Amino acid sequence: MIRKSLFLLPILLIIFLSSCGTKTEHPNRVVIGIPADVNTFNPLFAFSVDEGQVTELLYLSLADFRWNENLGELEAHPMLANSWEWAEDSSSITFYLRDDVMWSDSIPLTTEDVVFSLDVYSDPVVNSRLYGFFEDFYTDEENHIDVKKSFLVKSDYELQINFKPGATPKLIDVVHPVIPKHIFDKYDRKDIETAEANFNPVTNGPFVLKKWDRNQTITLGINENSFLYNPENINELIFKIIPDYKSRLTQLTKGEIDLMELISTEDIEELKNLDKVTLRTIEGREYDYVAWNNIDPNVYKDGGGITPNKLFGKKEVRIALTHAINRKEILEEYLYNYGELAATPISPIFKTYINSDIEQYNYDPEKAREILTKEGWRDTNNNGVIDKNGVEFEFTLNIPGGSPLRTYASAIIKNNLKAVGININVETLEMGSLMDKLYSKSMDAWMAAWYIPIPIELKAFWYSDLQTSPVNFVSYQNKKADKIMDELTKNSTIDKKKKLYFEFQEIIHEDEPMTFMYWTSNIVGINESLRNTGIGPLGAITHCWEWSVKN
Amino acid sequence: MKFKPQIWHLLLFFWITIIIIRVELLIDLVVLWAKYFLLFISDFNIAMQLLDFNLIDSILSIKLFIIIPIILFLFRKKSLWLKASLNFSSLTLVMLLLAFIFAPIITDENPEFQKDLKMTKLLTPLSSVKILHLSKKENTPTSALEKFINYKHKIIKPSYNENIILVNNVEVKSDRIVYSQKNIQKEINFSDVQIKDGIPFVTNKIFILGTDEFGRDIFTRLIYGARISLLVGIGAVVVSLLIGLSFGFIAGFKGGFIDIIFSRLTDLFLAFPIIYFIVLILALFGNSLLAVIIVLGLSGWMGLFKIVKSEVLAEKNKDYIITAGMLGQTNRKILTKEILPVIFVPLVVNIVFQFSNVILAESALSYLGLGTGNSYPSWGAMIESGQRYIIKAWWMISFPGLILVATLLSANDFGRRLNKVINPGIRK
Amino acid sequence: MNKEFLKALLKRIISSLITLFLLISFLFVLIRLSPGDPTHKFLSAKFSPELKIKVTADFKLDQPIYEQYINFVANIFKGDLGISYNYRMPVLSVVWQFLSFTLLFASISFVIQIIISFYLSIKSIRKKGNTFDKVVSKLSLIVYATPAFVLGVFLIYLFSVQLNLFPSSGSKSLDFDSFSIAGKIGDYFWHLTLPIITLSSAGIAIFYKYLRDNLEETYQQPFILNLRASGYDEKVILIKHVLPNAIRPLISVAGIELGILLGGALITEIIFGLPGMGRLMMSSIFERDYPLVIGCALTAGLIIIISNFIADLLKMKLDKRMIKGLMN
Repeated sequence: MIRKSLFLLPILLIIFLSSCGTKTEHPNRVVIGIPADVNTFNPLFAFSVDEGQVTELLYLSLADFRWNENLGELEAHPMLANSWEWAEDSSSITFYLRDDVMWSDSIPLTTEDVVFSLDVYSDPVVNSRLYGFFEDFYTDEENHIDVKKSFLVKSDYELQINFKPGATPKLIDVVHPVIPKHIFDKYDRKDIETAEANFNPVTNGPFVLKKWDRNQTITLGINENSFLYNPENINELIFKIIPDYKSRLTQLTKGEIDLMELISTEDIEELKNLDKVTLRTIEGREYDYVAWNNIDPNVYKDGGGITPNKLFGKKEVRIALTHAINRKEILEEYLYNYGELAATPISPIFKTYINSDIEQYNYDPEKAREILTKEGWRDTNNNGVIDKNGVEFEFTLNIPGGSPLRTYASAIIKNNLKAVGININVETLEMGSLMDKLYSKSMDAWMAAWYIPIPIELKAFWYSDLQTSPVNFVSYQNKKADKIMDELTKNSTIDKKKKLYFEFQEIIHEDEPMTFMYWTSNIVGINESLRNTGIGPLGAITHCWEWSVKN
Repeated sequence: MKFKPQIWHLLLFFWITIIIIRVELLIDLVVLWAKYFLLFISDFNIAMQLLDFNLIDSILSIKLFIIIPIILFLFRKKSLWLKASLNFSSLTLVMLLLAFIFAPIITDENPEFQKDLKMTKLLTPLSSVKILHLSKKENTPTSALEKFINYKHKIIKPSYNENIILVNNVEVKSDRIVYSQKNIQKEINFSDVQIKDGIPFVTNKIFILGTDEFGRDIFTRLIYGARISLLVGIGAVVVSLLIGLSFGFIAGFKGGFIDIIFSRLTDLFLAFPIIYFIVLILALFGNSLLAVIIVLGLSGWMGLFKIVKSEVLAEKNKDYIITAGMLGQTNRKILTKEILPVIFVPLVVNIVFQFSNVILAESALSYLGLGTGNSYPSWGAMIESGQRYIIKAWWMISFPGLILVATLLSANDFGRRLNKVINPGIRK
Repeated sequence: MNKEFLKALLKRIISSLITLFLLISFLFVLIRLSPGDPTHKFLSAKFSPELKIKVTADFKLDQPIYEQYINFVANIFKGDLGISYNYRMPVLSVVWQFLSFTLLFASISFVIQIIISFYLSIKSIRKKGNTFDKVVSKLSLIVYATPAFVLGVFLIYLFSVQLNLFPSSGSKSLDFDSFSIAGKIGDYFWHLTLPIITLSSAGIAIFYKYLRDNLEETYQQPFILNLRASGYDEKVILIKHVLPNAIRPLISVAGIELGILLGGALITEIIFGLPGMGRLMMSSIFERDYPLVIGCALTAGLIIIISNFIADLLKMKLDKRMIKGLMN
């Protein structure tokens, strides 16, 4: 008997001990579930979306960008700078800083910090995420900003920035999170990357880092000295790292976390029945596509030659492929209509610039067959697969692993294409290998998604010169489109830009360099007691110092 | 005397059941076989063009199916295997083998078939839908060849079918036909559908084990999945066997430096936590069916190596081997004639355990997203996707999960039985 | 005797070192052959080509391959595993943070496996052939055949989602720091209950089977029969004679078990979101953080090499004792 009770002892102990740690109430705490830990708290190296979101809460910029829903555009508001003034000819800008901003170690933030930040961002030895993006400034050969020529420090709170002649600077290219000079000046520039200060940061934002438990939690506390502080609002923000999606969802339904993003459409029904969770969507930030390599990967590999792809080289074929794929069924049956069909890479959230005259290529296998036959693709050898000049229409469609939506879509696409006599082999690639193949342009077809930047950015994706468009993976080339993109980098009136964007969409739609599948929504589940959450295209947690909890 | 079921009873039972439920399909397949044979004689080139995996598969399984009763009749008395008694593990293993060989006969559906997602997505086991057959739009075939292709498509079903609509209900309203899909009603012309006895031709389709998120029949996928799982298992074991056997033989025979190298290599593989090794390779180099087979094979040869080496070492100084060497037999002959028969049984035991390890590893890899992918209906992949629907659709994970556990249990049990046969010391 | 022992020991140490060296070279080859470039994780439209070239140079990926290899081996023997691309911290300190958890987790599980399997196997050998023995034997087979991820998902579904008794992920509560020491330990165990069940069950089944078979075999040995015939107490026979004999083969199984344990820990850590080596390894592979991948693989390899070494030592020790025992 005694031995049996010995057996029970550890169990009793666990129950006893776990009751010791009774939960204390934290009415103004918000817990956010995220899939992966951040690697740094330094905005210089915040490469991932999550890192960007966290560092933006710790480090403020001169201006604050908010999304104007009605215009579909970014709007700049004062932040660290009370105001700013452009020179008539855009050759310089003057910022007037707030004088009540303190670093978290009680040292005031001044123009010196701003100058230092831009200097470090552009310093080649630092490897910052923005290195190479300061073309509008006076720089040396290594793209390092020339501090003497570029900055005119008028006082601790007034700074003038001068631009290179002929440059077309925009506010968004100048305004970046400001880092403390008095901290990072102590380091050799090349050691900033591994500096201790990246993990115990001295910050200027509405939140301060309280505790970081690697791969478990990131705890941010409210900064009571910040000019953004409001005692009514939330005072603690915890990011809980939960890699498994199902676990994240379970914790949301149990109330262990208050917010999670990227909820699968398959789980919506279940969540809708819960009282304590409300669902919000962030639309139009991401689109899925099936890419058809416009050029022949083998020829490209043998010396960078550009020849049309044997299968997808002609735009008619690509259009036929789009006709053959039942995008609508995937949208309805898997995405439950959370999203909309995509026709071009310009998101519908850019309301001013979206060309609504463009007509989708509808699901129409009959028409697809017709076009393919006209292009000479017929099944001459009766094997069920169409062919032309001895080439069978067969290829491998690569999809990244770990994406249920793409796995789902690829199964449908495989079947859809089989119905028009095209044989595809779906291969799942791990993300790293897929990237490798993307950069070497060695795949025929693949499926992936683009998370689009705000404001609109086209040159990196669609420009003919493959050197200036590193992510133009399909190698789309069109001289007319190039001209428009060049024109768009210049400052011009809204009407002119609108015209250019409209024209660009028409060209892309006509060329159909890839099959644009659909704009997917980021479905965010939040605790219903949260108030004033401005969930929009800029993300789920931007400006979260403004949130409050209903009691 | 009490009736004790034996394996040949099971085979007979299987044969009769299939004949009863799939009689039409069987006849069609025989006709197809005959037609193809005629085509083969009349036009060799075209026949070769038409030859694809599905055709070979179907014709082969119908041939084997016809042979079953002959085999039973001839060998029932003689073969120990056929007379072996039927228990849980042999039942499972024989069923697996049957599924492996006769997949196209057991089920008349294509494992990838999907149509009208709205109607078929995540159906519970035993649910059924109605099929409305459309009248064919295509012209009637003219040449013999076209006729053959049409016939082939009728029997060996492709993964799509544009001539049917899956519906809940069909009603005739004056000159139109109204059908409903979930709560959506649609209309169609009389001329577009096949008519039988004055009313639209409608058949029923039952999903015994339900459907998955793509509206695919789970029963069919399980049957075809047996092929993939067995293929991965057998493939990986063969790879392990080849490596273990050759390394072991060379190390045992040559000894000295070569032995040291191979033994260190074995230590190396044993020192690496095997799953780290597998994950590392698959994640770094990509995961296809072939890669999974090779990597799993690479990760499991050490046990076989040790057995072969120690047996070779034990045997090589025995008189008969030395004599064989002196008689001028080559090493290869010594391996196949003298050594292999001795180590055959311990090898088989090891292989059986290795086999179950591989199947388990494949499903674990699928869970980590590194399995054979979704292009093949493997059990691991089915469990992985079922896991995501565990609350909504219990059948998606339960059936493949149960079959996986049953297979592993049976393979282990089989191995233990074999082990007992050769190590009678442990026997009770 | 002693000299022989030293000689065997030395031989064993040298062979372990060779294995280690092979492991290092093997890792180098693997990493160099693998596709995927660490700079690709920075993929974004806002990533300048200039930075890519710079980062590549910083990772020393542009040196000739043999130089890379020599540097690589030299650095490892110096104990310098480099700096993790992602964590921007020395690899060793990253690995240590995660290793400590896995070591704790795996050793708790190991102890539990040993205790429970001993208990079960002795009980079932004592009552050989009765219901308890039969049920446990069958059950152990089923448990062994159930993949860890199936079990883990099932446990979460039952105990966390439906019954709400245990947390579904993580290793501690958010308010962990505010707890008393007892509360901290309790919180830890509360979080680790389901993971430990998941990780231990297969091991229990394996140990149980081996132990039971060994015990059965030992009981059939002539000298046990002799002892029994001489009227020794069953308990004395079990503790003094049967168990030492049955344990010896178990030690070599334990060495192999450790590999299984580390592998199982990988899957368990992923299911339950625990901060351990397995997850670190997975994420470093997927992010192409090569120094960290090497650090993880090397650490895992080292653990196995060392523990096999210890297992061998123990075996030698036990052997001697057995010889002595027989002589007396």
